[in-house]
Amino acid sequence: MAKIELNDLSVTFSAHQQKRVSLKEYLVRGLFRRSANPVLKVHALSGINLSARDGDRIGVIGHNGAGKTTLLKALAGVYPPTHGTREVEGKICSLFDITLGFEQEASGWENILYRAYLQGETPTSIRAKIDGIAAFSELGDFLNIAVRNYSAGMLMRLAFSIATAVEPEVLLVDEVLAVGDLAFQRKAQARMRELMGASRLMVIVAHDLQTIRDMCTHVVWMAHGRILKQGDPNEVVDEYIEAVTGTKPEPRLVAA
Amino acid sequence: MFRHLAAVWTARHFLLALVKLDLRLRYRRSVLGVGWSLLHPVAMTAVFTVVFSQLFGDGNPVGYAAYALSGLAVWAFLRDSATIGSKAFAQNESYIRQSPMPYTIYTLRSVLGHLIHACLALCVVAVLVAVWKGDPLALLGVPLALPGLILAVLAAWAVATIGAFVNAFFHDTSHLLEVVAQIGFFLTPIMYRRNLLDDRGLSWLVDINPAHLFMSVIRDPLLAGAPTADSLGALGAALVPVAALTAALLALAAGVVAWLHKKVIFHL
Repeated sequence: MAKIELNDLSVTFSAHQQKRVSLKEYLVRGLFRRSANPVLKVHALSGINLSARDGDRIGVIGHNGAGKTTLLKALAGVYPPTHGTREVEGKICSLFDITLGFEQEASGWENILYRAYLQGETPTSIRAKIDGIAAFSELGDFLNIAVRNYSAGMLMRLAFSIATAVEPEVLLVDEVLAVGDLAFQRKAQARMRELMGASRLMVIVAHDLQTIRDMCTHVVWMAHGRILKQGDPNEVVDEYIEAVTGTKPEPRLVAA
Repeated sequence: MFRHLAAVWTARHFLLALVKLDLRLRYRRSVLGVGWSLLHPVAMTAVFTVVFSQLFGDGNPVGYAAYALSGLAVWAFLRDSATIGSKAFAQNESYIRQSPMPYTIYTLRSVLGHLIHACLALCVVAVLVAVWKGDPLALLGVPLALPGLILAVLAAWAVATIGAFVNAFFHDTSHLLEVVAQIGFFLTPIMYRRNLLDDRGLSWLVDINPAHLFMSVIRDPLLAGAPTADSLGALGAALVPVAALTAALLALAAGVVAWLHKKVIFHL
C-alpha cells in the first residue's frame, strides 16, 4: 500500500541576504545593533494539501519557481516540513538532480554502487542488477574510467540507468524525460513508461502538458508555493493554458 | 534517536563504500599509496626522536619513538575528526540535497576515514613496542587499547556532528576549531611526557584536557608492555571518566541532532 498524505504542509526557507552569517555578525549585529543582513523568509511551499493512494498518477504544473521541485523534495523527505505534516508510505524512488552527487574520481562501476546504496539497495540486491544497469547505460568500457572524464550526456545516461533500476512504490519524477541522444531518449521513455506502470503511485513535474494529459489521473497547478487548483487533468491543464496565454485552448475532439 | 541510529545502520553499505573510496582516492596514483598516511606521523616521529628524545625521553630512542608516534596518531585522529568532520555537510551537500539519509553518516564517513589512518600508525607503534620491550607479550597491549579507541571514535563522531551542525550556521566554526587544535597540540603531552608539567605544578593543564583523557587510555596500555594486575586496574579506573565524557558528548550530539536535523538543510 503506497500513499501520500500532505496536510497543510509548509516549507519556509530562512535565507539571509548575504549567504552566510559569521560569528562576528551574529555577536555584534545580532546583539548590539540592527542587523545589516536581515533574514528573508521565503515561503517555498505554503498550505499544501494533497492526498494520493495506490494507482494515482499526479502531474504537477506551474511556472518556474512555483514550488514544484520543492514539493517533490518535500515528498521525498529531503526538505522537512516547517509546518504541517507529511506522510508518505512505500519505498520512494526520486528522479531529480540525478546528475548531482557523483563521486567524480570514482569509476562508473563504483558510482553505480554508491548511488544504488543511496537508493536503499544492499550488496546482495545490487549484484543481480548491476549488469542490467551497465547494459542499459550502453557505456561499455567507459564504466571503468573515472566519472570526471564523462560528458554531460554520458553522466545523464548513467544516472538515469541507476535511478530507474529500482522497483519503486512511490515514484517522484522531475522532468528527466529528455535524457541523452535520440536513441537513448526513446529507450529512456520506454523505461519511464515501464517504471510508471510498475510503481503504485507517481508524482511527475513536467512542462510538457501533453505528457501530463496523457499520463496523469490528477493534476496539481501550483503558483507561488501554493496549490492554485487541482483535479481532473484536462480541466486543470486547459485552465492553466488559458491563464498563461490568455486564450482558451482549442476544444478537444476526444474527451479523455 | 533510536530511529535515527537505525537509519544510520540502514545506510551502512553506502557509508562503508564511501569510506573505502576516500581511503583509495586520497593517495591515488602516488608511489607510496596509503603509505603516505603513515609517512607523515612517522617522519614527525623521526624528527621528534632525533631532537627531543634526550630532552623529553628517558634516553631510549625506540621507547620515545613509540610514545611520540602513538601520541601523534591519536592526536591527528581527534584533530582531523573535529576539524575536517565539521565540514562534512558542506562536502556532502549534493547527497544531502537529494536523499533523506541521516546527516550523521556524513560526519561518520569522515571519522571512519581518519580512524583507518590512525590504526595504521598504531600498528607501527605496536611493532615498535614489541621491539623495544623485546617481549612479544607486549602485543597484549593492543586489545587493551581497543576500549579506549572505540570510545574515542564515538566521541569524535559526536564532536564532528556537533561541529558540523554549528558550522552550517556559523562558517567560522571550522577555522576556530583549527586554531584550538593548533594550541591543543602544544598543551597536550604528545611529544613531551606529562611529568614535565607535573614537576612544574601545571598538572591541572593536563587534567582538564579532554584530548589527553582519550590519549592516555589508548596510549598507556599500548606502551605498558605485558599487562599486570596493577596496570589493568589503572586502565579500568582511567576508562571511567573517558566513558563518562563520551556519554556526555554523545548526549549533547543527540540533542543537537534532535534540535537541528530538520532545520540545517535550509542553511546549507
